[in-house]
Amino acid sequence: MNDDLSHRHSAFRFYGSWLEFARIAFPNLLLTIVTLGIYRFWATTREREYLWSKTEFIDERLEWTGKGIELFVGFVMAFLLIGLPLIVIQLISQGLIFRGEAILAGVITLMMFLLLFYLTGVAYFRALRYRLSRTYWRGIRGGSDDPGLQYGLAYMWKSVVGWLPIFLGVPWSMISLWNDRWNAMSFGPHRFSATAEWKPLMKRYLLFYLVPFLLFMGAVVFGISMAASGGTSDALGSTGIAIGAIFAIIAVLSLYIFLPLAALAYYSKYFRLAVGGLRLHNLEFDFRARAPDWILFFLANMAIVICTLGIGYIFMPYRNWKFFIDHMEAYGEINIDDLTQSETVVAKHGEGLLDAFDVGAI
Amino acid sequence: MSAFFDAWHYDGKNAVRRKVEVQIIGRQFFLLETEQRHGPFAFSDVEYVTRKDDADVYGLKAADGWRLMLSGPVPSDLSAMLPARRNYGGWVDRLGFGKAAVAFTLASAAAVAIVLLSPQWLAPLIPDSVDEKLGDALVGDFGGRFCSTPAGDAALKKLVASLDANPDDLQVEVAKIDMVNAVALPGGKVILFDGLVKQARSPDEVAGVLAHEIGHVREKHVMQALLRQMGLAVVLGGIDGNSGALVNNMLSMSYSRESEAEADAHSMKALGGANISPIGTASFFDRLSKMDGSANSGTSDNDIAGYMSSHPLSRSRKDAFEKSIVKGKNYKPALTPAEWTELKTMCTQDRNAKSGFGFDFN
Repeated sequence: MNDDLSHRHSAFRFYGSWLEFARIAFPNLLLTIVTLGIYRFWATTREREYLWSKTEFIDERLEWTGKGIELFVGFVMAFLLIGLPLIVIQLISQGLIFRGEAILAGVITLMMFLLLFYLTGVAYFRALRYRLSRTYWRGIRGGSDDPGLQYGLAYMWKSVVGWLPIFLGVPWSMISLWNDRWNAMSFGPHRFSATAEWKPLMKRYLLFYLVPFLLFMGAVVFGISMAASGGTSDALGSTGIAIGAIFAIIAVLSLYIFLPLAALAYYSKYFRLAVGGLRLHNLEFDFRARAPDWILFFLANMAIVICTLGIGYIFMPYRNWKFFIDHMEAYGEINIDDLTQSETVVAKHGEGLLDAFDVGAI
Repeated sequence: MSAFFDAWHYDGKNAVRRKVEVQIIGRQFFLLETEQRHGPFAFSDVEYVTRKDDADVYGLKAADGWRLMLSGPVPSDLSAMLPARRNYGGWVDRLGFGKAAVAFTLASAAAVAIVLLSPQWLAPLIPDSVDEKLGDALVGDFGGRFCSTPAGDAALKKLVASLDANPDDLQVEVAKIDMVNAVALPGGKVILFDGLVKQARSPDEVAGVLAHEIGHVREKHVMQALLRQMGLAVVLGGIDGNSGALVNNMLSMSYSRESEAEADAHSMKALGGANISPIGTASFFDRLSKMDGSANSGTSDNDIAGYMSSHPLSRSRKDAFEKSIVKGKNYKPALTPAEWTELKTMCTQDRNAKSGFGFDFN
């Protein structure tokens, strides 16, 4: 058995190989193209079947039992229930603007926006529920009896409250919503408990939040010191302008470099705290990836996609899952006699809403 | 007849892994543990679930989490009773990968061809009443922006009557909007923006543009474009986000170029029939081409900019209208100087018409 150091204590192990994955991903790509994208639901399913089956938890592989048709039906439902009405509403509101009923058009557009906002929240919730209900370990699955309609409301108000104090409440809303989502989920007979705290996240968030200000302050200080040290003659003045120009370029570049780095550092901490606050009966979870791991991971992803002129994009599900499993940890114990089947309902359709809004799960 | 074969089993009720022997009795089987016998189960209820490492995993209909995992060489009498492995998904597995890819390609090409070509045949089949209702729903009274004076209306009516044999099914209006533009809408509605009328140097210019828009109405371009857009939205709905929109835009763009050329041809014919000189329209496009820069590019339709835009380049349109001039023909002005002044000042005279566009509440 593969028992190297980094894996020695982890309950999660990933045995996949990218060559095997390529044999799934390339035919998937071809079939997706020739079906004008319709095959992608089956493609996703095949990829998950592979990734799950190559993932071991303690002593047994995971199983993905979702079906392509479920994702397809979910997508069609989202299209009929949301996509078409949206097109109609857009036409109506355009007609209203033509007629000068701008206020009514504005109200309709606002309602449409609120509805989409709400459904995005519901979509996040249902995607997680769908994934848990299709994931089996030793013949036992997860799920939730909550349809996520309440969560949609929580998503709306918590997001807004997070934005109101000039976006300083975002860490609170992210952690709080993560807890809400996971507290509604279960695996087998046990309910997840999510008690992550948001306060430890604030320092990282402020780092990210303040990067533009710090860069600006740095530029001002640098500029003043340059001006103070510079003479008054014309010759020196023009070098001063040249230095100023170079510095402006450096400032813009560093904004593009430091801001994503700070964002990754924040997200790394967020994910560590969020997973760290998760419990399932006597099991505790941990996510070990730290900011440098995330940064290397993203740089490698970018390099792969760029060097392969975009084709490498089809390996991203593999890379994401491997990164996730490689850094997941679980502690505690499971009594397999007590781990009985989940009694949650199993929805027949997949991540339609999620698919329609193009948001990721977990 | 009975045979025995070693396998792993989860009963789906709890997470205990059981080493069992499969005992086949006709079309049914039992799973034998050291002190327990599970079953009988019908082979017809067995479903293929997934491939897990070196084992094929089977489930049982209506028994959540029930699993039978077979590894190594499976005796032929057992494998004959089990369902086939699933690889790509039902259809692809039945046809084989190559054949399925070809079949999907053909089906997709057929679907796109139908969506692109059928609007030309379908649009004339849609009853005028539907067309009219759609136009009314979209435009209404245009927020009170239509201008009207007795003399101006009479001039406009004369212009329309000279350009079209059935002016009664057309509803041509001048709207108090300061933009150099004109639109054709469903239900035979044509709207000339006041900005276009004001900047025109002769009634012949307005006649050319008006005849172009009437061309869109007579060729049913608006309904065609609507049908094509709806069809493409459905067919390309499977492709996610940006790439779908890109393909959609490219396809509809090429069709709109075709429509513009048809409308131009209609316009030249109508001008010829009304004995109005196309030179005015040519000079209108000449002025436009100076605005869009195509006058200096020196190339015609092969130009990338011309290819990508929905309207043919103004310069090539100017050339086309110039070519349609018949030498020696005795052209008459589209309107008398008095009528032309009335049309041009109609929106200034009509104080009841609202001005502007969109969110403006005068």
